[in-house]
Amino acid sequence: MKSYFENYESLHDSSFEDFMAHQLSSSLCQGIPDNWNVGVRLSVRELSLVGEGSHRHLSSSIRLQIAAASIPKLPAHLCEVIVIQRLPLGVFADPFELQNPHKHKAFRDIAVFGDTNLELPSFQSNRSAVEFHIDAGFNILFMQNNGTEFNLLLPLDARYQPLDESGYSVVEIGEPDMLMRCSVEGKQHKQSCLFMSPPNEKAKSTSATVAWKIPAGMKAHAGFLSVITFVTALLSTLSIVYASMFLSGTKVSKT
Amino acid sequence: MISLKPRSILLISAIFRVGLILVGEWQDTHMEVRYTDVDYLVFSDAASLMASGQSPYKRTTYRYSPLLAFLLIPNSFISRCWGKFLFSASDLFVGLFIRIILKQRKVPDDLCTYSMLIWLFNPFTFTIGTRGNCEPIVCAIILWIIICLINGNVVQAAFWYGLIVHFRIYPIIYVLPIVIFLDPRFFRYGTKPLLSDWTSDPGKARQINSELIDKCAVCDVWKSTFTRSRILFGLISGTVFLLCTGFFFHLYGWEFLHEALLYHLTRTDARHNFSIYFYHIYLNYERELSVLEKLVSFLPQFIVQLVLILCFAKDLVFCFFVQTVAFVAFNKVITAQYFVWFFCVLPLILPWSNMKLKWKGLCCILLWMGAQTHWLLWGYLLEFKGKNVFLQLWMASLLFLAANTFILIVLIRHHNYGPVFRQHTDLKTTKTT
Repeated sequence: MKSYFENYESLHDSSFEDFMAHQLSSSLCQGIPDNWNVGVRLSVRELSLVGEGSHRHLSSSIRLQIAAASIPKLPAHLCEVIVIQRLPLGVFADPFELQNPHKHKAFRDIAVFGDTNLELPSFQSNRSAVEFHIDAGFNILFMQNNGTEFNLLLPLDARYQPLDESGYSVVEIGEPDMLMRCSVEGKQHKQSCLFMSPPNEKAKSTSATVAWKIPAGMKAHAGFLSVITFVTALLSTLSIVYASMFLSGTKVSKT
Repeated sequence: MISLKPRSILLISAIFRVGLILVGEWQDTHMEVRYTDVDYLVFSDAASLMASGQSPYKRTTYRYSPLLAFLLIPNSFISRCWGKFLFSASDLFVGLFIRIILKQRKVPDDLCTYSMLIWLFNPFTFTIGTRGNCEPIVCAIILWIIICLINGNVVQAAFWYGLIVHFRIYPIIYVLPIVIFLDPRFFRYGTKPLLSDWTSDPGKARQINSELIDKCAVCDVWKSTFTRSRILFGLISGTVFLLCTGFFFHLYGWEFLHEALLYHLTRTDARHNFSIYFYHIYLNYERELSVLEKLVSFLPQFIVQLVLILCFAKDLVFCFFVQTVAFVAFNKVITAQYFVWFFCVLPLILPWSNMKLKWKGLCCILLWMGAQTHWLLWGYLLEFKGKNVFLQLWMASLLFLAANTFILIVLIRHHNYGPVFRQHTDLKTTKTT
């Protein structure tokens, strides 16, 4: 994601997909034999939203499968799974929460990219993405036939939504993008190799997106609300003024 | 009757705060819900940036003077709790200054002790410093300014005032009452002003009051505006403010000016908070508010501040208190940490209130807490249950303003108004002949 934001100002799906497809594939292992197909399959087995209200967790269950013949060739201890969760406009991940060591000790690294301004409503903010780096060594070494699973729990917070007549706004969060990176010995030197699931073999998960219903202000309230707000402020002002001038000990004595 | 000595009270308070800080550190490491305020992490990050020679404003949401980051630089090499100890120490100084001010005004010992306890053992105030909020520093300096003024030390008061306005903008609301307070009848160069002593007799207090309040404060201001004390105060505080601001502008440029000063002057927050304006701001966030709308929302604050100043400036401490309550209540954004701004002055006015704790005082406390709790309940439903209760939450904000207004009026009614100073005898004699 750091590379992405060095080239682009904000996160757009089309730009990001182009970036993933062209920029990263051009940096895949150079000079590695074409027949070295490790058969990496990364898929989302389950995607769900946990909790209530404006602060929830996105739960992702990710399955990693590698062709059995390829496992001995991989430097398992030098492999990591990278998960990039792109977030829609209406939600954000708080970098402060992600620093909590109690919750995120299993990850090698977590970072938030894009708009990390926590205060702006969704209609004044840009999108962001969270990138996880998970050490895959242990999982690869002891991988079963049906692969190995990683569970991610990403704390998310809802932004203030655009006004809506229904009083709610629905935000949809899609599956994360996933790849595996291993540091392997190339012909001349060590290099980082990136492995992704082939697009045509990408396994379908049980739920491609999750929907989050977030309360939104209602335009119908605007008219009378402003009037009552200002009238209340005025009444409070007059009360305090009256009390200060006539009910306090500051009466003017006529001596 | 409480028989604890002030030293013991301060010692117990200090031990308690150290304990809270240590428990807080344990909680942060072992539990999901942190004890430490998120702002403390912002200050600490800004301090480490400053320690490594970078701008503290590289830390997003750092919206304070670089002075604060400078004070917290030891977080990086002594202990990450350094700031919390500093804020808690300021908290203890507030308790000490409360006692100093009240003793100087001859308040009886037991009332002084109660006043100290109201601050030092208020659950709201002792958590503020131990969680890493910097407001106790502001409170301590405000009280120190009061001590300087009541001792006639205008130069020092001006220095600290300029500094604290640079540090935290809101004390600018005290400038006019301080100027009025520096009345030439009480402040004469080279002579320590005479303090009016506390009295438990409201009748005697009114008598003192009526001898001196024979004209409205506006007339006093116009009559003798440019006195030595006032000019000195204005020049020194203004110079200190401009020097600090200019120095940091030179170091950090427009980013400093915007984040540390301009942001606070123009701040509006569409997210829910105690202010009655939050929902109005949210509903109109997509368009620019008209000049008339901005003026209409500013007018109540302006009028209330002006009237409170003109009525109570001579009783400076009470003036500070009512101004701060009103300032917070009518502000466009109200967060819980703002309450500590008037909590630190409250113990100083209570000895002059003829309101008894049973039952009027208790009712006021319960009303204020009840209105806050009511708001928090709707806030909980919105934020943690995802219910659309914006309208109910806004109505709870209106109720909270109503509660604040009512309590303010009750306190005004029960306050034995009395100027802090009395006239020098030679001036009195001249006036009566």
